[in-house]
This record gives sequence, structure tokens and C-alpha cells, in this order.
Amino acid sequence: MTAYILNLLVLISVYAILSTTLNFIIGYAGIFSLAHAVFFGIGGYTAALVAMHVTPEFFVAVPVAMAAAAVTSLLLALPALRVRGEYFVAASLGLQVLAVTLFSEWKSFTGGIGGVIGIPAVELFGYPVYKPWQFLLMSLICLTIIIVIIRTLVHTSFGRSLKAIRDSESAALASGKNITVIKTLSVVLSSALAAVAGALYAFYMSFINVQSFMLDTSVLVMAMVIIGGTATVSGPLLGAALLMLLPSALTYLSFLPQTEIGSIQQIVYGMAMVLLMIFRPGGIVSSHPGGSK
Amino acid sequence: MSEQLMTAQETEKPASGSGFTGSTDAQDVLLEIRNLSKNFGGLQAINDVSLNLRAGIITTLVGPNGAGKTTLFNMITGHIPPSEGDVRWQGESVIGKAPWKIARAGIARTFQDLRLFTHMTVEENVLTMMESGSWLWQPGGKSRKAKRLDKVSQILEKTGLTDKRHTRALDLAYAERKFLSLARIMATDSRLWLLDEPASGLDPNSYNLFLQLLREEVKEGITVCIIEHNLDIVVNISDRIAFLDQGKLLADGEPQTILNDPALAAIYFGER
Repeated sequence: MTAYILNLLVLISVYAILSTTLNFIIGYAGIFSLAHAVFFGIGGYTAALVAMHVTPEFFVAVPVAMAAAAVTSLLLALPALRVRGEYFVAASLGLQVLAVTLFSEWKSFTGGIGGVIGIPAVELFGYPVYKPWQFLLMSLICLTIIIVIIRTLVHTSFGRSLKAIRDSESAALASGKNITVIKTLSVVLSSALAAVAGALYAFYMSFINVQSFMLDTSVLVMAMVIIGGTATVSGPLLGAALLMLLPSALTYLSFLPQTEIGSIQQIVYGMAMVLLMIFRPGGIVSSHPGGSK
Repeated sequence: MSEQLMTAQETEKPASGSGFTGSTDAQDVLLEIRNLSKNFGGLQAINDVSLNLRAGIITTLVGPNGAGKTTLFNMITGHIPPSEGDVRWQGESVIGKAPWKIARAGIARTFQDLRLFTHMTVEENVLTMMESGSWLWQPGGKSRKAKRLDKVSQILEKTGLTDKRHTRALDLAYAERKFLSLARIMATDSRLWLLDEPASGLDPNSYNLFLQLLREEVKEGITVCIIEHNLDIVVNISDRIAFLDQGKLLADGEPQTILNDPALAAIYFGER
């Protein structure tokens, strides 16, 4: 039972990193991306390959994973952020579909459908980390650092510019903000930080394949942000916890057909999203139920 | 109808629009619009407009709805590229430049629909306008930051928004939003302000405060170009008036000349 709970907590903390980093661009910059799982995947694959072929040292594998995700995100951000918001959603969806194909077919990098197996235990200054509680501690520390980085950023002039762009791009332009550069930087940063979650996930599972980085994951993470509450610190954390606990909670409801838990879960997500958008568009954690940012 | 224009002018106008008493022809040209045109498909929104905005005065753009006044602002600030013509700011063409570069060059604008940063506080709205760059830290350290915050306080004091400093723009009353729009432009270091119907819908007290603020800023050296439908404001603050109709500049000159022209009044009130 303890192992089960620890496993759940590690996964919640990994997804909390994903939702927190996606919230940075959705909540503060107004950029809706359906490709967050791509950067989660690039982080995972890159960290796995570095660990297997170079060194499993955390402070090498994770920065390389972050750099790979940052560079890839530039490919999306530079052309796509020159256009209006809804086009970015379409472009990110295109990247997500493209990336799934690449993850499935680029066997030398991703192992294809079979994935990457035998990822060694991550090391911190030479000491291997393999126990679930150690992983939990490590991922919680990473989550905390990421929250501090994002919280600090949104209170700087960069953060104010992001929020200005979110509220009115044309007014931000008229106030002298180079919105293309600011939006690109925010996407690059968000993607690089999402790669940390990918690296942690790869090390924790010691096996990864494309199934973890598909469109479903991007939608799930976006649901975590929207249900929890955008532009808040605790919203994405709560969203991650709720949506990760939901499948487990459903299995305890004995009257539900256990073979249909997956479908029921999707129905519950969908209903929760619809009801929230109607009654509390700002998400569960929102000081202004009418829709706060 | 032209008689109505003259009555308003005679009863309410102070000695001169913004307090400037010399000939506006003698003023330096800050912004020069040359043969500017804009087509939207088959619609000619702006048709060969040439106009000079002179330093230190208030030029008012008047004309019926659809005359092309806001389109002109959009082209000056780079939000819409012109089909033909040139806009020269202090002698240098701004055509093809990004709106943010034009803003940093010293041309600031407001929007008819305000476009406030609605989920940010009043203080953040004003502070954001002062921060030309968007780096993590603004240059100058704590002392410059303290000066910026001090300037925010002064602007909020002038615009009567001190009590609303930590209120979100979304939660402000209509008149307060209008003044926040003005406060934001006051926070910039711009020499030219383009104001798109800044006083529409203001109550009499707010309206008087607005006029007082605008006059003070012009005395400080700000050049203003304002789009306005309210004839009281046109009469009270204009040093020059440019009259547009269907994309064409029909007249540009001293308020007396423009406001006394019965043909222009007929166009303005849709009587032609």
C-alpha cells in the first residue's frame, strides 16, 4: 500500500511540474499549447539517452534534456508566435501529431513503439537514486524550484509584459513591447522546464515509450491547468492531484464496471471541464469566480 | 447646424484650445503624413491624406463615423501598413517599422475600446508602460525602481486613481477605466499622444478633470492628436482641427475656420 501511494505521489509531482510549466504560458501569457507532451517526451528521451550513453548524473542529463526541449520549442515558437493565438493552438496541435509520428518511427532515438528500456538509475553527485521516496523527494524539490522560478519571473518586468500581452496584444505592442520575442522566450522557458518532468519520469519508470507523450497527455495537462485554475500557483498543483487521483478513486467505486474505468474517467474529465467553464471559468482555485487571471 | 457649432465655441472655449496663443503654422512639424492611402479590398479607407502634426499643440481629428480617423492612427503607429504614402516622425520614415519600435520612438496611443490590461492592477498597468524593455530586471536597480513607483504615485494622484492602485482594471468603473487609459499614456516618455475618443461617456466632473489634465500635459511639452466626436471638447481644447470624411482630408486649419464652415458642419451632421 505504501509503495502504491508513493508511486501515485511521484506521478502527481511529475505531472504537477508539467501543469505548472504549462500554466506559465497559458495563465500568464495567454498562449494555449497542445504540444506540452512533446517537450515532456523530448526531455524523457534525451535524459534517457544521456544516462545510457554518457552519464546518469542528474546535473548533466537534466540540463541536456532542457536544452533539447528549448531548441525544439524554438522551431515551434518562432514561426507560430507571429500569428494570433488560435493559430498557435493549431500549430501546436500539428507539432504534437508530428512528434508522435517521430517518436514512433525514429527508432535510433526513441526505440520506436517499443520505447527505451533499461534506463539506469539517476545519480546525484555519484549516488544512485532508485527508491520511490528518494524520487518523491527529488521531484518535490524540482517542483519547488520551478514554482519559485516562475513565481519570481511573473513579478518582474518580463512577467508584467507577459500578462500585458495576455490581456491585450495590441495595447502591449503600442506600449513598446516586442511581443514576438517575449512570447517566444516564455514558450522556450516553459518547454525547457517541462523537460525536467520528462527526465524525472524517464528515470523513475526506467522505461519510456511514445504512449506517455501523445495528444492525450497534452490534453490531460491542459485540463489540469484549467480545472485547477490558471495564473495561480496552487491551481495547477490541485489540478494535477485531482486528475491523477481520479482513476484511482474510480477503481474504489465497486458499482462501476472496472473494464470501463478509462471511458468513465474521460466522461468525468469532460463533464468537469464543461461545468467549470460554465460556473467557475477561472478554475477551482480562483479568487474571482467570474473568471480571474 | 453650423450655428450650433459656433454657439458652443463662443460660450465655452477659453482663450485658446490648449493655452497655446501663437500661430500654429509657425510650430515645428513633429509628424508629417504624406499622401497616405489605405485600401481594404475595394474600400478606400484613407485616400491621399497629407497632414502635419505640429509640436506642442492639440490637433483634433473630426469627421463622421467611418471617416478613417482610427485607421489613420493605426497607420501612424504601425498597426496597419499603408497602401501608399509615408509617415515621417521627426524627419524619419516610420513606414514598415514594428508598432513596438514606433512606440519606443516616442509615439504613444490610446484605443477607443481602451484595451486595458484588464487582469492587472492599476499600478501594474501604469508600471508596465514605463518599462520599455522586458528583461527580468530593469536597468538602474532599486533607486530607479523607487523612482518609477514614485512616478506611478504622481500619475495616479493626478488622474484620481490613488485609491484604486491595487484594484484590477477589470473592476474599475467606466470613468476610472478612461482615466487609467490616460494614466498609462502619461507613464510613457512619448512626445506625441494619439488619443482615440478619450472623453466619450465621461460625467461632467470627470470631463473637467480630463480637460485640465490634457492642458497641463500640453503645457509640459506634449503634442496631442485627438479623435473626438464631442463638440464641447473639440471646441475647448483644439489648436488645430483636421476634418476627414470618407477617407479624405477635407480641411485642416484653425478651429475658427473649420467650425464656421457650414459645408463641413453639414457633412458632420449628415445633412449633405
